Amino acid sequence: MVAHRKNDYNFKERGRFEVDISMKKTAVGDPFTIVPPAEKMVLFLRQHVGRETKPIVQPGDPVKCGQKIGEINEGDPWSVPVHSPVDGKIVTIKKLSHPLSGEEENAVIIETTSEGQNSSLSPLNPNDVSKEQLVERVREAGIVGLGGASFPTHVKLTPNKKLSHLIINAKESDSNIACDFRLMVEKSREVVNGILLIAKILDVTHITFASRTKEGQTPEFDELLRENNITIARIRPNYSVGSERLLVKEVLNKEIPSGKFPPDVGVVVHNIATALAISRAVYNGEALISRGLTFYSKKTGGKNLWVRMGTPINHVLSFLGMSSGEFERYVLGSIMMGPLVSDPSLPILKATSGITAFTREERDPYVNPLPCIRCAYCNIVCPVFIYPQLIMEAEKKGNVKALHKLHVVDCIECGLCSYVCPSRIKLTPYLVGGKRRIREKKE
Amino acid sequence: MNTDEVKFKEYQVVQPPHLYMGFTKDELMLKTFFLLSIIAFASVVIMGVNAFIHIITALGTVLIVHNLIHSYQKWKGYRITYESPTSPMVAGMIVGLSMPIASTFEVTAGVAFITILVFKYGQGKYFQRKYLNPAAAAKVLLLLLLSIMLFFENPLSTGMIFHPHHLELNLFTNEGFIESMWIFQRAVLPFLGIRLPATQSLMFWQTHGWIGGACGILVLIVGAIGAYWLRYKWRIIVSSLISMTLLSITIALLTGGDILLRIAFHVFTGSFIFMVFFMATEPQSTPMPGKSQYLFGISLAILTFILQLFNVLGGSIIALVLLNIATPFLDKVGFKKPYGHRESKGGK
Repeated sequence: MVAHRKNDYNFKERGRFEVDISMKKTAVGDPFTIVPPAEKMVLFLRQHVGRETKPIVQPGDPVKCGQKIGEINEGDPWSVPVHSPVDGKIVTIKKLSHPLSGEEENAVIIETTSEGQNSSLSPLNPNDVSKEQLVERVREAGIVGLGGASFPTHVKLTPNKKLSHLIINAKESDSNIACDFRLMVEKSREVVNGILLIAKILDVTHITFASRTKEGQTPEFDELLRENNITIARIRPNYSVGSERLLVKEVLNKEIPSGKFPPDVGVVVHNIATALAISRAVYNGEALISRGLTFYSKKTGGKNLWVRMGTPINHVLSFLGMSSGEFERYVLGSIMMGPLVSDPSLPILKATSGITAFTREERDPYVNPLPCIRCAYCNIVCPVFIYPQLIMEAEKKGNVKALHKLHVVDCIECGLCSYVCPSRIKLTPYLVGGKRRIREKKE
Repeated sequence: MNTDEVKFKEYQVVQPPHLYMGFTKDELMLKTFFLLSIIAFASVVIMGVNAFIHIITALGTVLIVHNLIHSYQKWKGYRITYESPTSPMVAGMIVGLSMPIASTFEVTAGVAFITILVFKYGQGKYFQRKYLNPAAAAKVLLLLLLSIMLFFENPLSTGMIFHPHHLELNLFTNEGFIESMWIFQRAVLPFLGIRLPATQSLMFWQTHGWIGGACGILVLIVGAIGAYWLRYKWRIIVSSLISMTLLSITIALLTGGDILLRIAFHVFTGSFIFMVFFMATEPQSTPMPGKSQYLFGISLAILTFILQLFNVLGGSIIALVLLNIATPFLDKVGFKKPYGHRESKGGK
């Protein structure tokens, strides 16, 4: 059991605003529990930021655990394959509402016959293979950024610029997530192996492990990092710093210019869970079919679960002794940035780091917002120094020129402006809308 | 509702975040009301029962009008503008505290009435935003109307907020300034039997001028607590106070007068110190960008200072209203460079 002082749970933002992380508090001491697969698994053929993969199975086909069911499109460098998380039989391929896009997208429904053995790929010895082969393995294993972005990892492993620095993001800023911390406690050796593999592929000179832990909280893991010359950066308790762009500034004091990416300043950031997935793909020959996540409801508190992708939310609920009738809506991933769904038959995706279930009694605090009082709290708290309220006004008027001037494209969509608004206005959608309006204008 | 509005309404339901800090507008208003109540209490102790009646008159008028409108909106099934009375309560308290103690209660009730009806409800309804500080705008409007009284045979006897004898004071010379300070030298701490010199009475125990400025030091302390606790637009406060202090020192040096007395008069007089903390920081009518807030504060101090020197009664609120009008323009300048654009930090 890891002891935490009270002040470990106060995330302080700009302007002395605090982010409530009491949800996390209930989960940090809870070890991963493996959730068995559901009778029917639902696998969306797009679980990354690129285009949908091609289904390579037909209804009625038997599948093995780890077998590829969605193949990358020829010539598409962004997509990664999707694998079956169980031994079973393909029931159907049908359009379902995708939790991330809200659009109808193809999903493969698999009837589970057994849990199966995830070893469709052969284990590799990293010393015997080239970097290109390692990158290809990462792609073949279907690995994407597991922090929530779903960005294809193989793309980040093949930058067109020379990098000097690798940062592993274990900041775990989200108020409802504690699974990254559990990885440090429970999967420490595999995580470190994954980090070293990434460093080898990228040929970086410096590795920094960015963590929110205090000295002595994870002694064994810290020792492993030190043994492997991995610097530990203990990041101040703050939510927004978990963002890739701000983490680079926090760790290296380098600001990524607007419109550029971490490799442009010689850095790359990977999530701790991604490092674990890479380690398993290379050393064990495992495709990415399961992950750790944190479930939270008022009834259960925080629970860390090991869940296969494609597991419907209602199966997770019944595993925890509850039913979907008890809840009204669910947030997938970060409670500050993740999408809200009301259909409990929707599944866990690769980037689902958490599920937060709300009952009907837990009202959405943003319902019936009041008119803006221009208190400027949103400006004060904004970690990238933009003006959300003025952007909202510009977006309402469709004023593209003002949106440009107000640098809406630099918004990191952290949600803090909405979080602090005394009038309970959800400003984030206006910022997202403003960014899209500018993008559409360019196109 | 156009397509964009429909789209955003849908967004509001499902888009993140799904966590809320919980500090609502009501809480902000209630805490502000609490801070104002401390000042009101001190003002009543210092200025006596008349101060209490002014405050109650303002509060009562505002709440009666608010309740009537609220009930009407409810009865007609219209959208309720203010679900809770906290914001009108703050407006009422500000009116009460921004009235001169020499004013009549009818004038206070009139200002409160115009504040809530015209500049709080009316302004919000027709402009979807308050461009002018309601209490300040109401006072300026009434001041203009009451200026007609200047043409009355004996204007002071009509009971008004405009005292024409102010125009006879000459604050440009040290002699004129000292002479005009007689009104503050009357301050007495009754229970201790102490008569305070003008400098001290201006700062601690004013029995003349704005009710809210009876104890300038207390306004400074309570206002500073509010600025920190409730995150008022502190740049306006700081830049106004510093600018006014510098202007006071400058005029004292130019006229060869007592620097402390000048600071005590220009900075701690109720029409400035109370206005700076509790009216000039009114969120809707003041700029958003930080640099613009500094500009707002500096301009407010300069304008108020000039109008004070010319003895324009209500100079500070006229200055505030003028700057409120400039706010939409100030909102277009003074932006901080966002992350990724700061060259010194590696941005472009």
